[in-house]
Formats: sequence, C-alpha cells, structure tokens
Amino acid sequence: MVLRKWPLLFCAVAAALFAPLYLGPFWLSLLMQILIFGLLALSVELLLGHIGLFSVCQAAFFAVSAYTVAILQVKYGQPTIVAVPAGLGAAIILSLIYGIAVRTSGVYFILVTIALGHVFWGISWTWVSFTNGEGGITNVPAPAVGSLTITSHSSYYYIVLAVVALCVVGYRTLTRSPFGLTLRGIRESESRMRGLGYNIAAHKYTAFVLAGTLSGIAGLLYIYFNRFVSPANAEFFLSIEVALMVLVGGTGTILGPFIGSAIMLGLRNYVSAYIDQWMIVMGLIFIITMLWTPDGVLGVIRRLGVWGRTSHNQPGHRTPTPEEGK
Amino acid sequence: MDQNAVEVAGLTKAFGGVRAVEKVSMKVPVGQRRALIGPNGAGKTTLFNCITGTFFPTSGKIFLFGKDVTRLAEHRRTAMGIGRTYQITNVFHDLTVLENLILAVQGNSRQKWVMHRPVSAFSGSLKRAGKELDRVGLTDRTHDSVQHLSYGERRQLELALALASRPRVLFLDEPCSGLSPGERQRIAEIIREFPQDITVILIEHDMSIALGLADQVAVLHRGSIILEGTPDEVRANPEVREVYLGKV
Repeated sequence: MVLRKWPLLFCAVAAALFAPLYLGPFWLSLLMQILIFGLLALSVELLLGHIGLFSVCQAAFFAVSAYTVAILQVKYGQPTIVAVPAGLGAAIILSLIYGIAVRTSGVYFILVTIALGHVFWGISWTWVSFTNGEGGITNVPAPAVGSLTITSHSSYYYIVLAVVALCVVGYRTLTRSPFGLTLRGIRESESRMRGLGYNIAAHKYTAFVLAGTLSGIAGLLYIYFNRFVSPANAEFFLSIEVALMVLVGGTGTILGPFIGSAIMLGLRNYVSAYIDQWMIVMGLIFIITMLWTPDGVLGVIRRLGVWGRTSHNQPGHRTPTPEEGK
Repeated sequence: MDQNAVEVAGLTKAFGGVRAVEKVSMKVPVGQRRALIGPNGAGKTTLFNCITGTFFPTSGKIFLFGKDVTRLAEHRRTAMGIGRTYQITNVFHDLTVLENLILAVQGNSRQKWVMHRPVSAFSGSLKRAGKELDRVGLTDRTHDSVQHLSYGERRQLELALALASRPRVLFLDEPCSGLSPGERQRIAEIIREFPQDITVILIEHDMSIALGLADQVAVLHRGSIILEGTPDEVRANPEVREVYLGKV
C-alpha cells in the first residue's frame, strides 16, 4: 500500500506545484476555491468524522475572519500584517464563545449550531454601519508585506497551496495523536470514555475551537482571494454546502473533504451554465449520497478495492497480523 | 486493612416515583472481593452507577478511600482509582483492540491531551496495553478491529479496558452475562488472578461464579440490602433462597 501511495502523492504534489503553468485563469481560480472550501470542509470533518458532531455553523468562523480582515483593511486602513492575526483571533474568540454548543449532543447540537450560525449571519446583515449589510465589503486590497504585494492570482495560488498543505499536515498529526484517538473514542462511546477518566466536555470543546480556527484560516485565504465579503459567506447555506462536501467526499479521511469540494464546486460551475437552480441539484446530490453512498466517493473507491483502509483509522506503526485461530 | 475502599451511607436513588435503591449502606474494605447478588430489578446496577458516578444519588453519601465523592464527576472518580465494566458490552467498535487499550491506558494521564506526536510514539502506554491484552488472553487480536471480535472476546476486552486504567477498586457488572459455561470459567479465572490489592465489587447472576469468587456477599432485594455475609452464610440463608433462588 505504501509503495502504491508514494508515486501518487508525488504526482499530486508535482501537479499542484506546476498548476499555474498549465491551467488558465478560470481553472486556477476554481482550483483555489476547491482548496479553500476543502479546508473549510476539513474543519467540518474534524468534528463530524472524529467526534461525530455535525456542526452547521462553520461558515460563521469562516466569515468572521474574512470580515475582520476586510473591515480592518478597508475601513481602518490597517496593513495585512495586522489584519491577518486579528482575523484569526476573531475566529478563535468566536469559536471559544460558540463552543458552549458542545454541551448538547445529537439533534440538539445541530439545532444549536444552526442558531449560532444564524446569529452571526444576522449581525453581518443588519449592522449596516459596520458591515455594509447586504452590500458587503468590497475592494479589499491585495495582501502585502512591506513593499511586497501579491497581486497576481498565480502567486497567490502558492500561498493558498502552502497554507492548505501546512493545515493538512497539522491535521494529520493531530488525528494520529493521543488527542485524535481520544476524539474517536468519544464518537464510539461517551459513557465508556467517562468511565475511563476522560472529561468529555473539555475534549469536545477543544476540538470545536480547533475546528473553528481551521475555518477561520480558510476565511483568511478566501478574503484575499475574493477581495469581497458579504453576508452570503456567513449563510447557513454555506455551512450546509461544506458539510455536504464532507459527506460526498467521504468522512474519516483527509482527502475526502477536498474531493467533495472539487465535486461540488466543479458541478456548481458546470450546472449553473445550464440551469439557475443549483440548490435543487445540491439537494439531489445530498439525497443520493445519503441513500446510496453514505461513505462518499472515497467509500465507493475503497469498496471497489482500489484503495486500502484510511490511514488514521489505525495506529501509526501498524504491522499486519494474520488472523490466527484461537 | 483498616480503611474502606468504598463506603456507602443511606444511599437512595429514585427515578421519578420508583426508588431503585433505597437507604443502602455498605462498607467494602480494601482488597476484598465483594459479590452483589439479587433478582432482576433489585437495584444492583443502579447502585453501581451511583458509586461510579454515572449519575448522582437522590440522597445519601458515597466515600472512596475515606473521601466524600457524592458530588464528584465520573471522570474524577476514575482518576481516584475506580474502574468498571458494563453489563451491556461497552467498547469502541470502530477502533482496533490496541486502540481500545491505549484509550484506557491514557485515560488517567496527561497523555490524552498530546496533539503533536503520534500514538505510536508512546512506547510506555503501548507496552502497558500489550500487558493488559496478555492478561486477558487477547494478544493475537491486538491489531484487529473490535467489530471482528466474537462476543466472548469483547467481554474479555471489556475486562482489559477496566484493568488498563490501573484501578484500585474495580466494579464488574455481570462480566459473564451471555457467555457459555466454558467462557464463564475463563472470565472467572481472569478475575481470580487479579492482583490482591485491587478491591473487586462484582454483580453476577451465575451463583457458582459469584459465590466462588467472593469473600463477602451482599444480597439486594427491591432496592435494599437484605443480607450481608460470607458465601456459606448466604447459601444457607432461607430468606435468600426464597427471594433469589425461588421458593422450594
């Protein structure tokens, strides 16, 4: 399995590194969106795939960092070096507050996160003097450090790629750590975990804040890509769409959210050319996924035997043991 | 030993109008093997759940090693040395046997918060996990997913999880339930080989196993303890025969 994986990874890295050379502006822009929203979907995956919490407010953390950057840069003329840490800080603070949601579970958690997400969307919509309301904040300048300004899409692509790659490596490390294993234990049996000495609420809360931070990083990448933020970026609809990306791609993997992101954004671009109602198509995808491929595209591939098991369902140093009879 | 591992004083637990446990008082000295017997619905599991902290009692006090833990959260009681197994197998199905054990081993340490190093880097906990698997005879299943384990093997895993957290008091809730006579003997053997300093409190319906393992027996009936004594005293008691073994 290892031998089969490395050439594939090498090809993917090479393809990603040289993408601006062979992709036109449209495709490069789509690729950046896939990476950014894939990262947002990865934050959903951390909660859904590991603890089994279905969070429907990740758009709020995404939007709060985007808004913070936009407002600081446009309204207060602050440089990127101030706006970016502030944006990340805003996402962390909001997730520390919204973390109270982990006191609930199951359907109640979903409902509470819908409500919390809606609160932020409502603020972005109604606080017109601060957020420009429905119009959103336009003309966010290109990111600049000192005299270096990143104006071209192809150079910004490398920043997106580097940040996403770092986040993926960090995510992989986290999910393989004792902390990651603890999260999967909570997903399997909360009562047993309590009986083994775990403070379930503390672990859930920490994971929630980590996921919020990851969403905030995606928001930072988005605002300098899009140069415009509006309440649409904080909508319930976006939270649902990224959750769907995870389900379509396949939970329990790192690749899944990105594959889901590629499928959803690719389809949206393709379908929008023919019919206006993208939402109807998204609804159909959702139903089809839930009914026939609940473990997503990767699940289908794995069932066909192309891939082995996902890496983080097993401890790092696994050696195959033949099933010996008792 | 002069200290009591567990002391329960006037414990009552009511669910709505039903008093599942009523004014139970019990002292279990350190190192004792205590069996808790009684017919279905006598309140045995409820008493367990109150002592281990799954829920708080309606009234009464609970002491662990002399410390009042009546209002202490379950995970804190685990940190004080409580371990338990469940009547209905409660293990991590989607994880491997080794991962199950690692979760048990790291439960009472700071290791559970480590985020930057892989699980495989903690050789100490891997070693301890391996030792516990060896104790219950699951070594050949180390890397298998729990889904592929037989029911009997899951009961063994259940025991291994409780032991791996290095408890000072172990609560076993029907460890032999649903097992064949051969498998029961195997579980009984594992329990008999527990270190002597671990206090064991055991609920068991299989009389020969319960009375065979215990130093002391408490008989529960309708939420109250009706008799405490040695296995021989319990066997000889006519009242116990009536409520538990049925009228002859």
